[in-house]
Amino acid sequence: MAQPLVKKDDDRDDEADYSPFLGIEKGAVLQEARVFNDPQLDPRRCSQVITKLLYLLNQGETFTKVEATEVFFAVTKLFQSKDIGLRRMVYVMIKELSPSADEVIIVTSSLMKDMTSKTDMYRANAIRVLCRITDGTLLTQIERYLKQAIVDKNPVVASAALVSGIHLLQTNPEIVKRWSNEVQEAVQSRAALVQFHALALLHQIRQNDRLAVNKLVSSLTKGSVRSPLAQCLLIRYTSQVIRESANNNQAGDRPFYDFLEGCLRHKAEMVIFEAARAITELNGVTSRELTPAITVLQLFLSSSKPVLRFAAVRTLNKVAMTHPVAVTNCNIDMESLISDQNRSIATLAITTLLKTGNESSVDRLMKQITNFMSDIADEFKIVVVEAIRSLCLKFPLKHRSLMNFLSNILREEGGFEYKKAIVDSIVILIRDIPEAKESGLLHLCEFIEDCEFTYLSTQILHFLGIEGPKTSDPSKYIRYIYNRVHLENATVRAGAVSTLAKFGAMVDTLKPRVFVLLRRCLFDNDDEVRDRATLYINTLGGDGAVVETGEDVKEFLFGSLDIPLVNLENSLKNYEPSEESFDINSVPKEVKTQPLAEKKAPGKKPTGLGASPAGPPSTVDAYEKLLSSIPEFANFGKLFKSSAPVELTEAETEYAVNVVKHIFDGHVVFQYNCTNTIPEQLLENVTVIVDASEAEEFAEVASKPLRSLPYDSPGQTFVAFEKPEGVPAVGKFSNMLRFIVKEVDPSTGEAEDDGVEDEYQLEELEVVAADYMLKVGVSNFRNAWETMDADCERVDEYGLGPRESLAEAVNAVINLLGMQPCEGTEVVPNNSRSHTCLLSGVYIGNVKVLVRLQFGLDGPKDVAMKLAVRSEDEAVSDAIHEIVASG
Amino acid sequence: MILAVLFANSEGNILVERFNGVPAEERLHWRSFLVKLGADNLKGVKNEELLVASHKSVYIVYTVLGDVSVYVVGKDEYDELALAEVIFVITSAVKDVCGKLPTERLFLDKYGRICLTLDAIIWKGYLENTDKDRIRRLVRLKSPTEF
Repeated sequence: MAQPLVKKDDDRDDEADYSPFLGIEKGAVLQEARVFNDPQLDPRRCSQVITKLLYLLNQGETFTKVEATEVFFAVTKLFQSKDIGLRRMVYVMIKELSPSADEVIIVTSSLMKDMTSKTDMYRANAIRVLCRITDGTLLTQIERYLKQAIVDKNPVVASAALVSGIHLLQTNPEIVKRWSNEVQEAVQSRAALVQFHALALLHQIRQNDRLAVNKLVSSLTKGSVRSPLAQCLLIRYTSQVIRESANNNQAGDRPFYDFLEGCLRHKAEMVIFEAARAITELNGVTSRELTPAITVLQLFLSSSKPVLRFAAVRTLNKVAMTHPVAVTNCNIDMESLISDQNRSIATLAITTLLKTGNESSVDRLMKQITNFMSDIADEFKIVVVEAIRSLCLKFPLKHRSLMNFLSNILREEGGFEYKKAIVDSIVILIRDIPEAKESGLLHLCEFIEDCEFTYLSTQILHFLGIEGPKTSDPSKYIRYIYNRVHLENATVRAGAVSTLAKFGAMVDTLKPRVFVLLRRCLFDNDDEVRDRATLYINTLGGDGAVVETGEDVKEFLFGSLDIPLVNLENSLKNYEPSEESFDINSVPKEVKTQPLAEKKAPGKKPTGLGASPAGPPSTVDAYEKLLSSIPEFANFGKLFKSSAPVELTEAETEYAVNVVKHIFDGHVVFQYNCTNTIPEQLLENVTVIVDASEAEEFAEVASKPLRSLPYDSPGQTFVAFEKPEGVPAVGKFSNMLRFIVKEVDPSTGEAEDDGVEDEYQLEELEVVAADYMLKVGVSNFRNAWETMDADCERVDEYGLGPRESLAEAVNAVINLLGMQPCEGTEVVPNNSRSHTCLLSGVYIGNVKVLVRLQFGLDGPKDVAMKLAVRSEDEAVSDAIHEIVASG
Repeated sequence: MILAVLFANSEGNILVERFNGVPAEERLHWRSFLVKLGADNLKGVKNEELLVASHKSVYIVYTVLGDVSVYVVGKDEYDELALAEVIFVITSAVKDVCGKLPTERLFLDKYGRICLTLDAIIWKGYLENTDKDRIRRLVRLKSPTEF
């Protein structure tokens, strides 16, 4: 571990060239440590040996248990020496060795003697060492001395005891809590650091007592706190108090705001910054409150100290997420930070600018970023790419320049993660901005011409296979795809063959040419590539003529496998080669959902290529497959919408149940996802008894029980209802989980034969109007609005009555309608008295709907709203008004 | 909590590393991460000019002092500003011990004293003393003068 320091530079004199620890070796140093046992101690020599031991330890070297014990016992002998320098070393050494409980006893008496010594410094150090090595029993013995030490007039002794208290609170909270009075006294100390340490400890002691923390903050904010460090702590505790009392004070008189605002004028930069950050993080902070904080942060942006610049831009970056307008004043300062030497600062500045910039500044910003990208590390580049993606979604009209930027950086050098981030972004933009599709696909094609990452190449080929045939001129992609067959490894070649087949299947005019290309692949030297080529030539049919491809072939090529891969893998493993060929229909289709442990792990939401290439309706696809595999629901027609899971149980209950509402034209299916969290139980025949007495238009038609629900292995049970076709019927359902419970022997995992029937009450469930609306965005709302027939427009005005705020009212209406907010109009700027919100969606029956909401404050809290709806069907426009009127 | 204090020479060899609350198996990762951070960014940086970075929820402030580079890593209350304070205390105390900007040799010559100095400044992840005169006295087991 210890690295000998080698000669570095011949020009330097000999003395500087060699380290005093050159060739240091643990065994030799441990031998040297025997000098600690000499009857005539040589303090200088002993100090040198301790230094060597410390050097070893500081290099990450470890001692075995025996070695450590030996050194520890030897070091304790050094207490005999009166040499002050050596004693100081001994204290450090004992702490570094952290002896075990049975060894500690050897030094306790020496340390306790030092702790009661008249020499202050012996006391301070002995406290630190004792607290490091002590356990509960010893602590009760020395508690009296520690309490005295907290109020010692020597600040070093007091600080030693207080910081010990902070550490001991973790292991022996009851004992430390008894020191409250002394600590309280120390908070009033004139010594700055004692006050800092005392405040930290006192807060930790009282942190669970809200009232006590409130009192502490109230008294200290009135008085003067000496140390800037303590002042920073006080600001943090103050924001905590403000946060917790926020619910009681809706109107402007926020408690302690004046204190925070006063701290912005403190002489220590640390305090100013802490106060500014606390203000920006206040719940529901108003522009008026925010302004002074932003002003000081803006000053810090041009500070000569990098740490202050970093802190300021980091805070402004966070503010930009919630209050982009408030930060725009700092844009000029932030633009100059793009060239900051410290790349962390530059990256934060850029991502902030990307959040606060307006449509007109995009091009200028992109120019600046281009220069910057070449000299930052990949991890920073990824952050920038993600910010650009969000910007592009915010300003879809700017897709051309942003897409160009992404394609340019895609051509430059970079690692896998970085390239993947760019490709993911392009894919997302292609999906969300239809106008960007063709140029985006071409950028991806150019990328795979020179892509070193097999994974990205295959994923892009797959994506091309789905999106490429739907473009205006699919033939232009063929060259890029077929080049892969010549130039790449077998994995990519196989991917390219599949993509070619998809083009052949979807574009009839291309089919003969695709056939020629596929035939050439029959001579590939890889068997997978050859097999795929053979398979596709046979499935496409028509022998290369211009004929329409059969629906079943398309389903084979484009449909996802409707059986879980795990099940397929298991079945294949179990298949024994015989005369009878493997039958894919024998593979079970039931989805075995992930077990509890995996579910709890914070999974990253799949984005870009990681997600299903079919885009947003990927879960709907999965649900559709699942539901159509159940015979009872197979004739319900096309699934219109599946809701997000609604929890029907509290967190951490015995049985966790949530429900997904599946909406069909004439039916509604409730899918209850159940998890049994009791290891000692097996549930069987699990059903949900649904009472639909408050949902008059619904009639239960089918119920599919879950045969068995073992511990930690979720399963589903379904209940289906019939409702009038095409009608957005609403209602309330109460739910009861019914099952047979069997005891499980934890040691063998076997369940008893007999079970008991039991029931478990679940929360109520509602089907609301928003369930009949799909969230589907439009890239250019104005265009979409203008192109929709004005005859189907319905306009009316509504009074929403007194509301908490304008933002709350806007949110309520968005949730009521369940539509997709467009162009970021769901965000209501602070203190505004009017707001326009644009929504889009698809209503049941596949009717496109656009909504323009204009809100205004009428009096202090009353909100009035003008609702304009345009849709492809005037009856739907009327229905939207009805939803609002009855909501 | 101050998670780590690390000194390295100009070639990236570790001179001092002290971790608090960092599991043993993560230390190697941190060591190489910090040394790489220094190698990428410290070239041409003036003495005691602070650089700052954040990695997940952890902050890092680092600088050059003569022939050695110094890194301080912290989280929670020890954010970039608090760490700037900590590194300022450390660099001024080290300069005080060495009498000037340390060469690597000088740093190693004063190794024992530097260990004591660090012990007086940080105790198990908490900043304990900030004044360099007081730290100098504490290392010699002398009471501070100003009380």
